[in-house]
Amino acid sequence: MDKLERLLNLAAALLDADRPLTADELRDRIGGYPEGKTAFRRTFERDKDDLRAMGLPLKVEPVPGTDPPTDGYRMRRADYTGTELRLEPDELASLHLATNLVRLDGADTGLLKLGGGAGGEADEVGRVPFDDALAVMIAAAADRRAVRFTYNDTERTVEPWRLSFTRGHWYLAGYDRTREDERLYRVDRISGEVTVGDPATQEVGAPSDPTDLRGWELGDGEPVRALVRIDAVQAAHARHLLGEVEELDDGGVVAELSVRNPEAFRSFVLSFLDHAEILEPPELRADMIAWLEAAT
Amino acid sequence: MSAKLTARERMTRLLAVIPWVVEQDGALLDEISTRFDYPRKQLVDDLTQVVLFVGVHPFTPDSMIEVDITDDRVQIRYADWFAQPLRLTPEEGARLLTAGRTVLSLGDDEQATPLLRALAKLGMALGESADSAVDVRLGDAPEATLATLRRAVADQTQVELDYYTYGRDQLTTRTVDPARVFSDHGNWYLHGYCHRADDERVFRVDRVRDARATTTPITHPLEGGGASFSPDGDDPRVRLALDPRASWVVEQYPTEAVSTRDDGRIDVVMAVTAQPWLERLLLRLGPDAEVIESGEPLPADLAAAAAARILARYRS
Repeated sequence: MDKLERLLNLAAALLDADRPLTADELRDRIGGYPEGKTAFRRTFERDKDDLRAMGLPLKVEPVPGTDPPTDGYRMRRADYTGTELRLEPDELASLHLATNLVRLDGADTGLLKLGGGAGGEADEVGRVPFDDALAVMIAAAADRRAVRFTYNDTERTVEPWRLSFTRGHWYLAGYDRTREDERLYRVDRISGEVTVGDPATQEVGAPSDPTDLRGWELGDGEPVRALVRIDAVQAAHARHLLGEVEELDDGGVVAELSVRNPEAFRSFVLSFLDHAEILEPPELRADMIAWLEAAT
Repeated sequence: MSAKLTARERMTRLLAVIPWVVEQDGALLDEISTRFDYPRKQLVDDLTQVVLFVGVHPFTPDSMIEVDITDDRVQIRYADWFAQPLRLTPEEGARLLTAGRTVLSLGDDEQATPLLRALAKLGMALGESADSAVDVRLGDAPEATLATLRRAVADQTQVELDYYTYGRDQLTTRTVDPARVFSDHGNWYLHGYCHRADDERVFRVDRVRDARATTTPITHPLEGGGASFSPDGDDPRVRLALDPRASWVVEQYPTEAVSTRDDGRIDVVMAVTAQPWLERLLLRLGPDAEVIESGEPLPADLAAAAAARILARYRS
């Protein structure tokens, strides 16, 4: 039997039942499962994972009247349907157009459930990196729930306020429960799974704008004031990147930066190659010299 | 569309197709296929060889789904379990919210009203803070430059650009036949025919210092496309061994071959369009990158020479 047929029959059996069904009952009712307890169990587990991955609300509940208590499975129709959006045709079409104009990496199954592409193609205007962890965090921010993840090898519990994509990177702004303060994270540095936790306790704050923050300003350390001289040939580029800079007589500029992440600061200064030099502070200057000496 | 759908992809589609066909009281195969991105042959096979056998115990005719296809028109009956669409997961909703809010931020108007209504309904399902949960900026080039370029694309007229080539560290002025303005991973690009290079080029809009519209019609129209980066076949290649910590390089830059070395490092081959670009990358990576091989005319000690040049500044 086709796996698709078995999965559909499993979903129908669960939706049809008015009480939790045990694994054995499901095997008897559906058919199509392999002989033998171990093989059945393995296939059944995979099927459950598949249903859950597709968003089917499969629940495990004790079967009433069993002794010893046995777990069974069920799927309530109300959970299956959820809150219907009831989109008008033009609303669905506008969402379809939006997903055509802005292409997010990954598969878009949501639109199918709402009634599919309403026809009409549009030229893609932009492509944005996207993945499941981002979707989980955006949904948690919308629903005001905390998320847990690992960042820089540390477990964090954060109440997300906003996920922002700017200059090619995703940032998470939110309230860090462990540090009891607002924090900004680079999403690509989050490792492992992001899990959703309990409801948020803090009001949504005004997240700092990651566009105003540069890589060297993202960190847990105390900010250090640094001065960088950039030569005339790169001055226009520096002005464009940094905005306010001090103009020198020879056409060069001096930029004052607030550094919390020395590594990112070093990368930034190196991007000017031999057209830039760290003037202050002595520690960051010494760091740069040591780094360059190691490279020669 | 991809040639073959997985069982999961087919099931996700069927759980959407069934309620839609039921609600429409029948629909044409072609329409279902387009609307649900379901290759027609696969759709017919799945409806007639799978869905027709779906039901509940004891699988008597009255406890099974009925599918009828006559003259390419599909009717589905007795599919009570699947008569309503499956709920949107919060993650699926978040994707739609992100795409929708990004389009709103483009400030393009015509679609805005229905889209605002759709996002409001989506927001109600997602939670109280949906409006502020996500913010996408497709690029940070000046609005005025983008407007000039978009208008020139629409009018099919040439533009004159003062353009800063970051890789080569040069400011040049060129006449371009603009073909398309697009955003990729946070930057705006202009794809067009460059009369200075006498070839197709892709420009980063944030490096356009000034864009001047002209009334001269374009002479070299281009067919679609325009990748944000396309190396030249003649560009020299470099082979690097990267520490796993530097794996972001593989994601951030176009690579031609990637493999894992016996020592656990990542082996990567890249095209080098301009030497300063490679100098920057190697200096930034420091001990996390080793040059295994570099093609002519790249000097073997490229990074060391660049480091020495910079060090000279600090020692003078």
